[in-house]
Amino acid sequence: MKMLAAQAAALWHARSLCWTLTRREISARYAGTALGVLWAYAQPLLTMAAYYLVFDVVFAMRLGAGAPTHAVGTYLIVGMLPWMAFGDALARGMTSLLEAASVLQKNALPPMLFPVRAVLASSVIYAPLLLLLVLAYAPLHRFAPALIALPALVLLQVVLCMLWGAVLAILAAALRDVTQLVTFALSLGIFLSPVLFPAHLFPETWRWALWLNPMTPWVSSYQGVLLQGAWTPLSHWIGMACWLIGGALLLQVLLVRSRDQLTDWL
Amino acid sequence: MLLPSHAARPDGAQPTLDAQQLGKEYRLYDSPVQRLLSLLSNRRNYRSHWALQGVTFQLRRGQCLGLIGDNGAGKSTLLKLLAGTLQPSCGTLARHGRVTAILELGAGFHPDFTGRQNLYFGGSLIGIDAAQMRTLEAAIIAFSELGDAMDRPIKTYSSGMVVRLAFALVTALEPQVLIIDEALAVGDQHFQKKCVERIEAFRNNGCTILFCSHSLYHVQRLCDQALWLHQGQMRALGPTPEVVAAYEAHVRLQEQAEPPGAEAAPAPRTVPSVAHIESVQLPDVLEPCADIPGCCGRLNSPHLTITVRARTADGSLPHFGLLLEQVGGVGVTSVGTHTDGVQAHLDDSGAWVATVTFPNIPLHTGLYKVSAYLFDSKGLVVYDEWKDCQRFSHIFAQSTPGIVHLKHHWNGSES
Repeated sequence: MKMLAAQAAALWHARSLCWTLTRREISARYAGTALGVLWAYAQPLLTMAAYYLVFDVVFAMRLGAGAPTHAVGTYLIVGMLPWMAFGDALARGMTSLLEAASVLQKNALPPMLFPVRAVLASSVIYAPLLLLLVLAYAPLHRFAPALIALPALVLLQVVLCMLWGAVLAILAAALRDVTQLVTFALSLGIFLSPVLFPAHLFPETWRWALWLNPMTPWVSSYQGVLLQGAWTPLSHWIGMACWLIGGALLLQVLLVRSRDQLTDWL
Repeated sequence: MLLPSHAARPDGAQPTLDAQQLGKEYRLYDSPVQRLLSLLSNRRNYRSHWALQGVTFQLRRGQCLGLIGDNGAGKSTLLKLLAGTLQPSCGTLARHGRVTAILELGAGFHPDFTGRQNLYFGGSLIGIDAAQMRTLEAAIIAFSELGDAMDRPIKTYSSGMVVRLAFALVTALEPQVLIIDEALAVGDQHFQKKCVERIEAFRNNGCTILFCSHSLYHVQRLCDQALWLHQGQMRALGPTPEVVAAYEAHVRLQEQAEPPGAEAAPAPRTVPSVAHIESVQLPDVLEPCADIPGCCGRLNSPHLTITVRARTADGSLPHFGLLLEQVGGVGVTSVGTHTDGVQAHLDDSGAWVATVTFPNIPLHTGLYKVSAYLFDSKGLVVYDEWKDCQRFSHIFAQSTPGIVHLKHHWNGSES
């Protein structure tokens, strides 16, 4: 893991540049709009508000027995917001190297700076929103102590996106088709997760397939913590650890193999 | 010919730039799919192309190395390796102190942001943080001469303005190692002069310079060492005059190998803003016969006299260079007012005039062409060039093989 450690050290050394790049990516995205960066927060917030209005207020749809909550909108929001954060961060991380081609070819910078800044730029939008869910959901279980696990979950999700965003960025540099494939997988992946339907509604024999989705342990944990105030079970932590360690190992291998040629591919 | 050299300065043992056996391999895959497979399986499914191999040299404080070679010899690859934008496939590279590369200017600027915003952001890319930038900002804006334009989006700038801002930014801090790729051709003439002066100032302060150019004239003028790269390998490394002479011989051989004919038409002359050549006259050459197409006037005198006139916008003293060549053949000689230590004089109309005379010109029979160059007061910035602007024929009655008759004597008795 020497290569990965060296990259992490280089990024830490360039942390103030990383933060400048992050702020710039966000302001560049909304350059020329009147509301500016407010749009970044407005879009997920308005989507969540729409779910609540449509499912819980207008149609008042209910989930059946065995669900962690009965209000469909309430259930949907807890899974949907982290899933949107994951999809956004991963997609931006994946295309980050290709987009930074001209900068990387003309400035001596560590390439991994760009996937990390792309994920950070996405996370500074979504992480506060995820943490704000506490205010809406804590009354369900009167501020259960399990809520303190929430920051750890959010932080681990950011790390997950950085690792896999970097992995996909290198793969996309080698073969552009990767971006198409992953975009498609992200649009289908939501069905292979407990975001839309509680896990117990999936057929027993196929339930294991849910764990093929990296977000399953996170989404289940968010649902437990926010909807029921329940501590995250060990199996979920192990599931998260598997995806984190797997991402780190794969990234290490790809970094070693692409070491001196990565910028040539962009 | 050389400007004063700083190479001899006894200054510590540690080189500022130390390249050992540097190599860069490009892996060529049949398709991007193969590239992905090689990432995932670590199979060797590529062909190697070594753009650079076994490059070893050291540069100390104050040394200036010129990099020469044909297109595709690996010059740009070497510059990128030294600048750190490419990673070497083998070998080691040690750099000490701040390294500034003037490769392609303006990378990383965002068209929607103002000049000032881009300045701060561009600074962070090259290691100048916001606090430091605040102290440098005024000097950078003054040097780039952008003034009020700093608060306009970059997309409203002309390409020259962008380059001015970028050059002012990258050279805002004095580097220990400066890497320049053909950057002397930056912006308009007035700005070029400022760029060259700034680079000269760095050099005088002991900055190590690596300079890559197709202009052998500039390499000879600026560099005390030269490195000739040929097909990715070092062909020669040493004092500039020797290396450049060897390279010129190589270029001449190549030109001879190519089929003769089609000489490039002279490029249309634009009148540059700062200074321009007004006329190049050969008073002793007769009018060419109108009946014979392609005929040149004959030199009707044992002496060749050439008069060049030029104007500078601010009336400052320029320098002239003249190059005498055989048509379709080799160069015969070149002379310059700056290299000969003379000054042009002003005539009544305010034009600078210089006249050179080659007494008893020792040329053999042939067709000759004259090119004229106009330089700034240091002989670095080329303000104007009139290539192949005058031709003449010369007839030497006792012509024998060769191009000139050199002064000579035999140690024998007269027959």
